[in-house]
Amino acid sequence: MAKKDEHEIRDPIHVFVRLDTDERRVLDSRELQRLRHIHQLALTYLVYPGATHRRFEHSLGVMELATRVFDVITAPPIHEKIRDIIPNKNKRNYWRRVLRMAALCHDLGHLPFSHAAETELLPEGWDHERLTKEIIRSDEMKSQTWEQLEVPVKIEDIVKVALGPKGTKELIFNEWETILSEIITGDTFGVDRMDYLLRDSLHAGVAYGKFDHYRLIDTLRILPKGGGEDDSDEPTLGLDYGGVQSAEALLWARYFMFSQVYCHSVRRIYDIHLKDFLQKWLENGKFSTETKDHLEMTDIDVLAALREANSDTKHPGHIHAKRIIGRDHFKLLYSRNPNDQNINPNAAVAIYEAACKEYGPDFVRSDEYRQKGESQYFPVISKDGRVLQSVELSDTLFKVPVVKSDFVFIDRKLRPKALNWLNEKREEIIKPQKETEE
Amino acid sequence: MKRLQRCAIMLSLVEALFQRKSWCGETHIQKSTYFLQELLRVPLGFDFILYKHGPFSFDLSDELMAMRADNMIQLKSRPPYGPSIVPGENGDRLKELFTKTIQKYKERVGFVAKELGVYGVAELERIATALYVSLNDSTPAKDAIEERASCINKLKPHISVHEARRSLESRWEISNRAVKLVQTT
Repeated sequence: MAKKDEHEIRDPIHVFVRLDTDERRVLDSRELQRLRHIHQLALTYLVYPGATHRRFEHSLGVMELATRVFDVITAPPIHEKIRDIIPNKNKRNYWRRVLRMAALCHDLGHLPFSHAAETELLPEGWDHERLTKEIIRSDEMKSQTWEQLEVPVKIEDIVKVALGPKGTKELIFNEWETILSEIITGDTFGVDRMDYLLRDSLHAGVAYGKFDHYRLIDTLRILPKGGGEDDSDEPTLGLDYGGVQSAEALLWARYFMFSQVYCHSVRRIYDIHLKDFLQKWLENGKFSTETKDHLEMTDIDVLAALREANSDTKHPGHIHAKRIIGRDHFKLLYSRNPNDQNINPNAAVAIYEAACKEYGPDFVRSDEYRQKGESQYFPVISKDGRVLQSVELSDTLFKVPVVKSDFVFIDRKLRPKALNWLNEKREEIIKPQKETEE
Repeated sequence: MKRLQRCAIMLSLVEALFQRKSWCGETHIQKSTYFLQELLRVPLGFDFILYKHGPFSFDLSDELMAMRADNMIQLKSRPPYGPSIVPGENGDRLKELFTKTIQKYKERVGFVAKELGVYGVAELERIATALYVSLNDSTPAKDAIEERASCINKLKPHISVHEARRSLESRWEISNRAVKLVQTT
């Protein structure tokens, strides 16, 4: 049962997520509440109908997991080379609060439908991380939320921990701040990833994303990165030896979720049709980066616009809306294969360009995804106290494939003809061009 | 520079580091690329910040992942230690397609491999951080060694002031040699 000044929220993954009154104030802010209307997996629910969950519950889950990680890595046993970076108890309590609030806020800047096409849909130099930063620092959040807290926190600390060095390249991080941000955003053990794998897996109805996160978190440690050829003492998140199998399961879960859910070809083409629609519907084809406008724009607005455009043949986005609402999406013409890659590393691009020439750019789309970030390398403390590299201890980690996909899609009416065309012309199309100077 | 041209240069760097007996893990490539771009003026377009083991580029990390996905490079297990990065199955093909680009930057790539290939991760971290701090400080290098050494120690407390000073001196010597090379190629 909840104590006084403690609030409980039911969660399908973590059962209960508990907050104090200050955290509840952050959760109740307009900025956080907006995330109730941003789908975590965009239009994936058109392929996996259960995947209708939102960024709001994910943010709560990230806060819950971040706290568990914090409590484990700041408790004994602490590696002797790390002791100096852990703050004293008072400061630890402060940073624990910062971490929890940063976890809640880490996704505030996501566009409607968590849209990944930020390069096309935002002005140059903007992405959801920059928007998140602007929102956390905004006057509204400052006066309505941060200044109302009973125990104050520094806004810049929240920005740093929520976004990490990748999202705040202009800021310098000390080692402790780097570790805290790694808890949320880390490529290997970041809880953002842990929560989305577990949550997306549950809601999509696929088992691939599950792994033993209880065991994994229990075995996390801050360790000097050294081991093997890496002789540096830089602190980073690593594992106790007993957690290696859970880490293997995490990395395979990620691989399977990407290859089976996130890179599902139909999911990808729906994202492209949505981008096409948004470019027609939005003023100048871009989302506004004004905080006020951003907070007012959710999936509800986009869905309403899609439905309106679907019924209005004169609407500039009609054709794209129809492809989504009427499930008249483009179909797969080509996906990458090793033989073509060996002839031309840009085979998919060559096929896309040739198809555009043959059938017109309005009827062809391409999509490319390459896994980002490194994930298999982390330090592991062995039973005898030596710090080793993860891949020395696990053959499996070494063998987790890199996720990649290249797709070329075509209007479904043209597909039978286009498949024959591609069969006939493939060799000629993928023959590499001569090298050009840049 | 187009993506595949950039990949061809990265591949040639991996090979050059190997020839110099470098372990050639990701950290070696990260730091060598930082020198190649910032000191040898090869326009790779990576964005470096001060992070893991000194200057670090998330773009480069993503690019190395993408190159693995495209079989241009691969990981090679080297028991009892961690893996090295080596050319992948499609590496030769990439080199065939971009011979001009590789030739154009061959000397600069060779220079970086020669200067840095011998170092382990800890030394690379120190020397690359020394370059980062120096490039972000407009004071003439010779006058600023003490200030820069304490700055490095403040940013990376596991690097002592003494170690930082030594790395700044090494960095100074490498920079002088690099300037001459850039002027002649």
